[in-house]
Amino acid sequence: MVLAAAGWMTVVILVLIMIMLFVEGLPILAVTNPFSFLFTSQWYPVSDPPVFGILSLIIGSLMITATALVIAIPLGIGAAAFLAEIAPPPVREAIKPVIELLSGIPSIVLGFIGFLLLAPAIQRIFNLDSGLNGLTAGILLAFMCLPTIVSISEDALSAVPREYKEASLALGATRWQTIYRVLIPAARPGIVASVMLGMGRAIGETMTVLMVSGGRLAIPSFITDPMSAMTGRIAIEINNAVFGGLQYQALFAIGIVLFLITFAINLVADLVLEKQRRRYA
Amino acid sequence: MRKSRILGAVALLLSVSLLLAACGTPASTSPTTPSPTASSTSPSQEGGTIVVKGSDTMVNLASAWAEDYITGHPNVKITVSGGGSGIGIAALLNKTTDICNNSRPLKQEEVDKAKAGGIDPVSTIVAKDGVAVVVHPSNPISELSLEQLAAIFGGKITNWKELGGSDTEIVVLSRDNNSGTHLFFKEHVIQVKDKKAEYGPKVQFLPTSQSIADEVARNPKAIGYYGLGYLSNQQKAVAVKSATGPAVLPSLATVLDNSYPVSRPLFCTTNGQPKGAMQDYLAWILSPKGQEIVRSLDFVPVQ
Amino acid sequence: MSIVNLTMTENRTVPVVFEENVAVKMRSQAVSLFYDKVEALKEVTLPILANRITAIIGPSGCGKSSYLRLFNRMNDLIWNAKVKGQVYLDEEALYDPKIDVVELRKRVGMVFQKPNPFPMSVFDNVAYGPRLHGAKEMGGLSEIVERCLRQAALWEEVKDKLKGSAFALSGGQQQRLCIARVLAVGPEVILLDEPCSALDPASTMRIEDLMQELKVNYTLAIVTHNMQQAGRASDYTAYLLMGELIEFGPTKSLFTYPRDKRTEDYLTGRWG
Repeated sequence: MVLAAAGWMTVVILVLIMIMLFVEGLPILAVTNPFSFLFTSQWYPVSDPPVFGILSLIIGSLMITATALVIAIPLGIGAAAFLAEIAPPPVREAIKPVIELLSGIPSIVLGFIGFLLLAPAIQRIFNLDSGLNGLTAGILLAFMCLPTIVSISEDALSAVPREYKEASLALGATRWQTIYRVLIPAARPGIVASVMLGMGRAIGETMTVLMVSGGRLAIPSFITDPMSAMTGRIAIEINNAVFGGLQYQALFAIGIVLFLITFAINLVADLVLEKQRRRYA
Repeated sequence: MRKSRILGAVALLLSVSLLLAACGTPASTSPTTPSPTASSTSPSQEGGTIVVKGSDTMVNLASAWAEDYITGHPNVKITVSGGGSGIGIAALLNKTTDICNNSRPLKQEEVDKAKAGGIDPVSTIVAKDGVAVVVHPSNPISELSLEQLAAIFGGKITNWKELGGSDTEIVVLSRDNNSGTHLFFKEHVIQVKDKKAEYGPKVQFLPTSQSIADEVARNPKAIGYYGLGYLSNQQKAVAVKSATGPAVLPSLATVLDNSYPVSRPLFCTTNGQPKGAMQDYLAWILSPKGQEIVRSLDFVPVQ
Repeated sequence: MSIVNLTMTENRTVPVVFEENVAVKMRSQAVSLFYDKVEALKEVTLPILANRITAIIGPSGCGKSSYLRLFNRMNDLIWNAKVKGQVYLDEEALYDPKIDVVELRKRVGMVFQKPNPFPMSVFDNVAYGPRLHGAKEMGGLSEIVERCLRQAALWEEVKDKLKGSAFALSGGQQQRLCIARVLAVGPEVILLDEPCSALDPASTMRIEDLMQELKVNYTLAIVTHNMQQAGRASDYTAYLLMGELIEFGPTKSLFTYPRDKRTEDYLTGRWG
């Protein structure tokens, strides 16, 4: 009864948040048509007249998130597989809490470390004009979603019945063949969930990206270009925007886009998982 | 031993993060509650409420003043809010604020509108704001004209070679649009000739003055700007040349005597000569105590 | 391959009849197994004879599964397990550092207690081993799968659902699928670790019949806690008690005339 109420409460709150997003954000379309809002990249919210085009922000967010995932998925699943299948139990018991502790590092601290240490290193290594760019942000975000991916994937891999692992090894598979061909496929729902959560953190992360992504408001052509993400734009401008004004509406509209992208990603992941479940249930 | 060192490191990280969080706080937050309408009690009496509204550049300064002032004047309540100079002036005109903070003088049409509404705007310069343009210490460039700055920040000049420097990309760093300095720099530098000019597409908007200072300090290709207070010997301030005058380095003195071009006065504007509590408050702002707060927030004192 | 004459010490009046000229496929020599400090097996010396079915029986916890897992080094998976003594396959020492465990496991297959098909299709289950070891989709993989499913007496039942999930099969079918999966790797020895404990009697019979067919080409060792099964299906039986080999001999002799009092107690049900 109480649980049901709590469940419904969550749904209601979610719906209210959605309504709020749409009520505050949609009016911007009366001033800017949806096409130019989404598919142009001129963002001059405090000019007269203001111009709102968020394409560069969308691309920035996607590029940074994709970079983070490209780094974090193999690393995270690899680490999870190592912990679950290769590390002897004492090592696992020692490492896992440390990894989970990493997720408790405030993002601003990571951003600070990234700004002071990683950015100059990236600039030097890749011989760039600026170390504040999408790659730096992506690497830091990878680091931020790693604990989630490692921890949940490790749980999923450990939950795979021992029998699969034994069967595979007994057939003359190496450990990595076993992990790659049997354990990861069997743990896929959990691994996908971990990646989804990690991606949620990456795409929604604000402070770190704001500090190291470079803050350029043009469509980036490469990951090592300075760029901006949707979240950072909202965070930096919302306090300054006149309540109910055009800039305010435009920022909420960015929120809608962010919400829809996250929603779509989760939906696709759910569908993929469901298809899998049907196949082998 | 080991444990205490780890704890020490953690504590250091945490304090750093708090510091950063403090720096990252957007400029328009105000510790006192904003009020939509002006005081019901007349501000002409001793005590009562003073409503302050206007420039975002000044909102931190106004809040700091208010906080310090009310500790010595428990009968006075001051509410401070931002929104921009234009919003502050509009509020003064429709009598919803007692003091308007404006980082630009009133336009003629605003003065006309005020007169028509029976309002007599009186502006007092309470501080000055100087924006330093900085490059890496190794950069051979040591002076730039306003027009060259406009071209750099407007995206027309993209290589240091065009300015007599080395053949490298210019990494252009700017405050983000939540900063009054962003607007000021745009209006006074980028739009010095072309009133429609905007920041160029390759400009990088960094969230804090400190991050611009840090990046300029380590990136030989960078150029940026921020309030005088962030200047240190890790960056090199560029002397700025206006259309008429010589190249001038930014300093408290050159901002105060108006010889440095990228500076502006900051005003408090009232309806008529301030009286009572407001008179006392404005007098206090111009006193050494009030001006010390100006200095501590990296603006330039006028006294 | 050495030929052993297993006419052991004879305390009883009834002679134990051993076969002549049987090759030893695998054997353990004074092998002890430790989990940390706990000694799970105590200097067990035992032959596994070629093309015969050797049953290893004993009460729960006697170390029979641990013993079986020495032969394909599955005990390596237990991080704190330590082996003393030696195990041989065709007189090759298996706990020699030079041994390639992956190669060993191709030669010595294993069927587990609970049917454990992978969460894949029937076909992919059988094809798993060949694919690992380099069989190509086009190069006769489906022939291998069909042959192994036939050998495991499963082909007729699953030939129309090769693409279906292995989990859709019954428990007995799943176990035979696991046997087919082992056969597809081309082993010489098949270790069966209580393969029928999760199955109904009819499925159990089918597996036992299958074992009889397989022993023509393979050497089989089966761990079972089911004495009837050992009596029915095996040629030789070893009785383990608390990590110690109590008695080994031809199944008929051992069941009819146990030489050791402890074996007799177990067989007559005074144990467990």
